[in-house]
Amino acid sequence: MKQVVAIIRSQAINRTREALVSAGVSGFTVRKVLGRGKGNVDFRVLHGAEEGAIEAIAQLGDGPMLVPKRLLTVVVPEERLAAVVQTIIDANRTNTAGDGKIFVLPVKEAIRIRTSERDAKALE
Amino acid sequence: MPPFVMVQAIVRPEKVYGVMKALLDAGFPAVTKVDVFGRGKQRGLKVGEITYDELPKEQLIVVVSDEDAPLVVDTIVASARTEGKGAFGDGKIFVLPVDESYTISSGTKDEEA
Repeated sequence: MKQVVAIIRSQAINRTREALVSAGVSGFTVRKVLGRGKGNVDFRVLHGAEEGAIEAIAQLGDGPMLVPKRLLTVVVPEERLAAVVQTIIDANRTNTAGDGKIFVLPVKEAIRIRTSERDAKALE
Repeated sequence: MPPFVMVQAIVRPEKVYGVMKALLDAGFPAVTKVDVFGRGKQRGLKVGEITYDELPKEQLIVVVSDEDAPLVVDTIVASARTEGKGAFGDGKIFVLPVDESYTISSGTKDEEA
């Protein structure tokens, strides 16, 4: 089993959800997160803006800073991993920076709480 | 392909910008921040009669290549720790293995972080 963690654009979440559901993945978790990529962030500006300093707010928008994103988590059996990764890429790719990242982490165990089914059965 | 690791740090909300600044200065600009609530070994905070067992924290997620992990961990520890000897509630850092990493904008598998 693998856990696929994808950080994607907020506005792409519906598209991704539909793509995943039609690919047969029905269970996943989505969170609102903030993040930054390779760009530079001036923290004095960010902090100032948070405290309401007008000069700091005026400077926002110049460079990359903490951007709202969605963090999508889905656990899949190994044989569906490639298909799920490709589905997420296809649904989110616009060829521009900021499309997001996908990470694949190993999962040791999965348990369905309702029935205590384990591993592959819990993911069905 | 060098193996990647995911560093998940749970830190004090008031320290989070300091940690992110330190990571940026150390050459790790890419970070994701999640608001979380939790408790630790001290079973939350007890103030008089009231126990607070859902303390607000910030979780930082950084994915780096394997050999950078100690540097990232040290950077987070140095910047997230309460001045002096540290204090309960400064947080935890977990390092998880990452099998694969993809950049969506290019659709390619990453060879380096």
